[in-house]
Amino acid sequence: MRSHIIGTIFRKEMLEVLRDKRMLFLVILMPFFLYPVMFTMIGYVGKSQGEKLDTEKVTVLLNPEAESTPIYDSLKANATLDVKLEAFEQTAIDTMKNTIGVLVGDGYQSSLDSNRSATVTIFYDSSKDLLEERVSDIKTSIEQLSQNLLLARLNDQKLPQGFVKPIDLREQNIAPQDRVIGKIMGRFLPMMLLLFIFTGCIYIAIDITAGEKERRTLQTLFTAPLKVSEIIAGKFLATYTVGLVSATMNVLSLLVAMYIQVQLLSGGKADEAFSLPIGPEGWAWMALIIVLATAFMAAISIAVVLLANSYKEAQSYVSPLMMIIIIPALMSQLPGMDLTATTAMIPILNISLAIGAIFQGIFNVGHILIVVFFALLYAGLALYLASLTFGNENVVTGDKVKFKALFSKR
Amino acid sequence: MQALIEARGLSKDFGGLWAARDVSFQVEAGEIVGMLGPNGAGKTTTLRILSGLLTPTEGEAFVGGHSMQHAQQEARKGLGFLTGDMDLYRRLKPAELLNYFGRLYEVPETTLKNRVAQLMNAFHIHEFGDRFCEKLSTGQKQRVSIARTLVHDPKVVILDEPTTGLDIMASEFILKFIRSMAKEEGKAVIFSTHHLDEVERLCDKVLVIHTGRLVYAGTPADLNAQTGKNTLADSFFQLVNA
Repeated sequence: MRSHIIGTIFRKEMLEVLRDKRMLFLVILMPFFLYPVMFTMIGYVGKSQGEKLDTEKVTVLLNPEAESTPIYDSLKANATLDVKLEAFEQTAIDTMKNTIGVLVGDGYQSSLDSNRSATVTIFYDSSKDLLEERVSDIKTSIEQLSQNLLLARLNDQKLPQGFVKPIDLREQNIAPQDRVIGKIMGRFLPMMLLLFIFTGCIYIAIDITAGEKERRTLQTLFTAPLKVSEIIAGKFLATYTVGLVSATMNVLSLLVAMYIQVQLLSGGKADEAFSLPIGPEGWAWMALIIVLATAFMAAISIAVVLLANSYKEAQSYVSPLMMIIIIPALMSQLPGMDLTATTAMIPILNISLAIGAIFQGIFNVGHILIVVFFALLYAGLALYLASLTFGNENVVTGDKVKFKALFSKR
Repeated sequence: MQALIEARGLSKDFGGLWAARDVSFQVEAGEIVGMLGPNGAGKTTTLRILSGLLTPTEGEAFVGGHSMQHAQQEARKGLGFLTGDMDLYRRLKPAELLNYFGRLYEVPETTLKNRVAQLMNAFHIHEFGDRFCEKLSTGQKQRVSIARTLVHDPKVVILDEPTTGLDIMASEFILKFIRSMAKEEGKAVIFSTHHLDEVERLCDKVLVIHTGRLVYAGTPADLNAQTGKNTLADSFFQLVNA
């Protein structure tokens, strides 16, 4: 292969990409503006919804017999509850807007006096977030009351608190904050990243393969004194570069957008929330994995869309290909799915798991090396398939490239 | 004189359909050869085999003395090939396109600069040189396409229906250029066409292909003499209707 020929093909493809306003907009500019705008809007809407949940008043109907109980006082103390002493039918609660019914059972005081349990029932529509939020507040208040009554009873009986709690079970999360953030990021970022890379690769791959077939420019290249491997290499490099630029732009845009949103929601504490457990070594592995993932995506995109004879036909291959990427990426999020020597060999899944592991700061270099090896292997196989397709004479005649005919040369 | 183009028993089988059968001929330097035949006769298949786009089922093609099957890179270096199936890169300007192909043919940069300037002048491409190829008219595109075919100054030029779709002025321009590159620059030229008047005006020899077979190879005058007709059109119809 001659590097100056590959360079010439690469530069020409890039020149055409840079002049294609539609592709530039789709692959680079749109994500750059889309995510910050989208996330900022989500942030503002989320914040205002949160404020609404925190402050909006809800009517609480309490049966009049409960007026003398501490439950009434406890509920009245909550500013977000508009407590009304009013008898109610439990079925009617459903028809009333933002209303919760609290029914203190008969014999409340006598039950307490005789060291038995008094009954309190809450009626509400659990499908409404606001009511769920307020019911949670009501439960907290009543449980606090119940706890106070229990302590009083123990005191009366001269029993220690441990009498009703033989084992005091405690748990403490020792995971540092950055690892928790890393786990969350490692869950959704690999799939987003793989999709960004794929989106970046697939449209240019279609344009410079099936698009060239449709525009009848491919034959001109085939009559020049070029090796198929040189044409493939030039086109692969262009697809790879656009895929990498697109993925970088998408990820940067996404991170900036997330930072803005977290900053909005956390009251300016986004820096703490964004600390990740990734050292320089982790970032280096991450960069290598992304570079290889892009190479794999570029190679597989070219190999598949080359089979199409037109832009439209090639576009019909995009959705199935996307599913092939999404499903292993989703599988990587299943409980117990970790990067092992076996999973490190499975295409897409291995990349998704490796990125996730690096984000969490817990990865085995041996496993990462297996991922690197297999990502290279799969990219090489995809390019080999692409070269077989390019070398097939059906590409010239415009007929469908049949799998059986792949190994027959032009 | 050594033949610059040689078809030696070319046959092509497309899954039971023989598009070309045992086609043999030679073209020498400075010769213009017209290839005639009805649609589906096998002209394009034969030309594609000569250019290396298709591999013959049987036989061998030579360009500039190099086998297209066994020394393809060398053979292609001396060949300029254009068919109606080839278009231009729509987002390149004509000069960019010519430079691109010149570099693919490894023309040295200084030679390429002069060659591109020469072709831009010869085909009057400067008149529309600032436009992207997608914005060019059919005639302008064809001028750029032929310039692209010649950018590496090949000894052999194969043009498949180069005047199809062109108006009379554009066709005349192309035909004059075909004559000059053969007669002044000594290139061997094959062009296929459906316009028999073009063949009568330009060609030293004519190849008539029918149902995949070469049914005549010789001068237009000899063809008329052989068929006893006065015009090439009458001779052609007699051959293909026989």
